[in-house]
Amino acid sequence: MKEDRLDDLILDVQNVTYSVNGITLLNDISLSLKRGDNLLVFGPESSGITNLFDLIVRTDSGYEGEVLFKGESLKTLDYFGQLMHKKEIGYVHGDYGLLSNMTVEQNISLPLEYHSKLSAAEIKKHVGKIIYDLNLDHCRKLRPFDLTRSEMLKTSFARSLVMDPDLIYLEYAFEDQCPLNVKTMMKILNERSQLPDKSLVIITYYPWNFIDISDSFIMFFNGRIVFKGTKEDFLNSDNPYLLQYKNKSIEGPMVIL
Amino acid sequence: MIKQLAIYTGSKALSIESGVLDFINYTKSIIFSLRSLRYLSFRSIYNIIINQIKFTGVDALVIVMIIALLLGGTVIIQALTSLPKFGVEGFLGNILVIIIARELGPLATALIVIARSGSAIATEISVQKWSREILSMELMGIDTKLYIIFPRIIASIISITSLIIIFDIVAFIGGYLLSQTVVYIPMDVFGQILLDSFTFKDIVAALIKSIIFGITIPLICCYYGLKPSSKFEIPIYVSKAVIRTLFISIIVNIVISVLFYL
Repeated sequence: MKEDRLDDLILDVQNVTYSVNGITLLNDISLSLKRGDNLLVFGPESSGITNLFDLIVRTDSGYEGEVLFKGESLKTLDYFGQLMHKKEIGYVHGDYGLLSNMTVEQNISLPLEYHSKLSAAEIKKHVGKIIYDLNLDHCRKLRPFDLTRSEMLKTSFARSLVMDPDLIYLEYAFEDQCPLNVKTMMKILNERSQLPDKSLVIITYYPWNFIDISDSFIMFFNGRIVFKGTKEDFLNSDNPYLLQYKNKSIEGPMVIL
Repeated sequence: MIKQLAIYTGSKALSIESGVLDFINYTKSIIFSLRSLRYLSFRSIYNIIINQIKFTGVDALVIVMIIALLLGGTVIIQALTSLPKFGVEGFLGNILVIIIARELGPLATALIVIARSGSAIATEISVQKWSREILSMELMGIDTKLYIIFPRIIASIISITSLIIIFDIVAFIGGYLLSQTVVYIPMDVFGQILLDSFTFKDIVAALIKSIIFGITIPLICCYYGLKPSSKFEIPIYVSKAVIRTLFISIIVNIVISVLFYL
């Protein structure tokens, strides 16, 4: 029975307490994500939402508790195991992290060129399809400094998709975008969120932008989970932390400095 | 006064020790990373190697040739005019091989590469680190130590070896031609003197120097390139990269010369 449960979960964070330099950043956190589900994590600044990245993506092992990815403990991974784990997660950050000396096409191709056994022609074809799908054809030969913000986001997103990972981790990825240009990306993200066996973790300050594509919602404050629920719960709960956040109020249980 | 001097010397010594230990750990981690060569597809580093060879080798060709010509000419003019005064003109070939091929060629080439490419490598990597590009590569599962440093070492070895050979050829031939404006010596005589003075040991020593320079220059410059943790530290570490690589290269040059010729 337990094995079935583990098989079903792509991510399982169990009672994790994470401290750096004596400061507790995450305090007894537990959360899980089923394959095919999409998790939205939000909360105010310094609430701990950024530190989930250290455990899940960067594989820092200095924590108490357990983080399992596809049933495997991330703590037990050696140096090469960590590299292999990282390639299984598509990561998009609001800073985009595009390599400035590479074109859009080279940026997107890089993970495949490094990891895959595909021929150059197969990589070109595969990347060409993603470029076409994301409407990046007009800028495929441009370098990041020639791109608009939405093109940078699309390139970063395309790069995260290219290895066809089971989990895509979006961290503040849409926060600094033109609300009109971002519509195309949201449409693509929406299509991705419908795929079975493909999951999203979205870290954001603006949860209301992702209501339609998220299955579960978690709110952090002071390194603790203060709200956890479904879309219905998110919309209707009278959780005081959630209400304060949704109302963008500085008055409530959360003391905002 | 003495106490202050002792404190200063002691703290400097500790700082050097921790710096050396840190560099040793960095070098070890790169050697350890060589194990991920099995995961690395050569095509992903091919472009880096080609671009680095172009920048370090091909683009430096003109300046290396000009400097070789000027230094070669100076040494040959000095040798041709001064040696007869001491009655040791028979050693002309040996003097030229010792000065140009054994010492000046490798060292001057290394200095040019450090000034051009070493500073560029340190700057490029520190900017990539600051703009989270290196983190971004790590998050793609790329072994950044291998991906960033290894191709640059390969490219530097190829470039420096080629540049040293070109430096020596230009210094001898160009220098000879330049010296003809001051003193006359027949070309065949000059060529024969040089050929007679060259030994297999000279070629091996120059080759070893070029390989060691090819490893140390990118290794040290990448080390300092990865150091800055904020934007304002970038020029500080780039400067350190250049100065310390220069210092180490001179030491390497001396050590190899001592091992081979003493």
